Amino acid sequence: MEQELLDLLVEHFQDRIAGSVKSDKRVEIFTSTSAIEDVLMYAKNVLGYIHLVHFSCVDWIEENEFELMYAIFSPKSKITIMSKVRVDRENPVAPNIDYIWRHANTFEREIREMFGIEFTGLIAEKEMILEDWIEMPPMRRDFDTAEYAKKTFFDRPGREDAQDVRETIIKRTGEELPEFSKKYSR
Amino acid sequence: MVNDKESRKIVDIIQDFARKSSLFVLAYGTGCGAIEIPPTMTSRYDAERFGIRGAATPRQADVLLITGYLATKSLKRVIRAYEQMQNPKYIIGFGSCTINGGMYWDSYNTINRLDMYMPVDVYINGCMPRPEAVIAGFAKLQKLIQAGKADGWERYQNNLEFYRKNQKKIIHNWVMPDYNW
Repeated sequence: MEQELLDLLVEHFQDRIAGSVKSDKRVEIFTSTSAIEDVLMYAKNVLGYIHLVHFSCVDWIEENEFELMYAIFSPKSKITIMSKVRVDRENPVAPNIDYIWRHANTFEREIREMFGIEFTGLIAEKEMILEDWIEMPPMRRDFDTAEYAKKTFFDRPGREDAQDVRETIIKRTGEELPEFSKKYSR
Repeated sequence: MVNDKESRKIVDIIQDFARKSSLFVLAYGTGCGAIEIPPTMTSRYDAERFGIRGAATPRQADVLLITGYLATKSLKRVIRAYEQMQNPKYIIGFGSCTINGGMYWDSYNTINRLDMYMPVDVYINGCMPRPEAVIAGFAKLQKLIQAGKADGWERYQNNLEFYRKNQKKIIHNWVMPDYNW
């Protein structure tokens, strides 16, 4: 059933989409910013994928791209299609889809605020969750929250004799401390 | 009775006794700690036997509880509420988030030290403090009030510049009134 759906989509959109069956009731498709509106419209109006379950963003900083993920669901077939779109990190612009699902507007506002992705023709207030924010969008991976907190808020010095739990564990077991956790060591 | 500046008049002692016996707490919760207030107020721990009860508006309240993490966005509202309260007024910092940031110490939108922005009279440690700890904190505040040492509101008036400077450091769009006490 999942394979049939995928074949149908690939037959209709030819080389504009690629995809695979992830697991039971899960289909993953990759498409582009120019094709995503067509894919969602087709899935909603023709195939009956009438529910936008979730719409979120992933920061692929190593590949210099953002990935937008649209999860749509059909109550008839009970399949969730995960449609994924990559946008450039330097100039992140994606199509606005709030005329297909009205509630996508809220997701788009959040993604615009937290990742700085512009949606063409999105009409909404600039501020949603944050207030008076002047820094880079905070959910981007190159935004260092610890650094920002150190710079903005006041640190209370801890106890002199405080022990680092990780160091005790290393001494006891000889375990290696992972590279990313070293900056949190005392 | 020695009548110098340090000693307290008998009327102060009577006033402070009355104040400590009826602490009206503003019904406002900032973080997850607000969930410990209903069990403190209801039948099992029954804080009203110590004279602690809720108040609906800032102008009726004596105590402002900062329950847990304080986002920079709600700091603005908390300052507004605190400045509307009548003197004498007291602040209780509740949970480890108000002391040093707690588990949100590296978050971009929660403050770390409450006492840099508002004058705190009593801190209650814990994540979360249980109702017993909350009541212990209130008992400590009552002791301080009786001894005439809960002077957070005086500190706020005297060091307003210091607090304003720290508040404006994170609230860029300052739309609140400036006071001249």
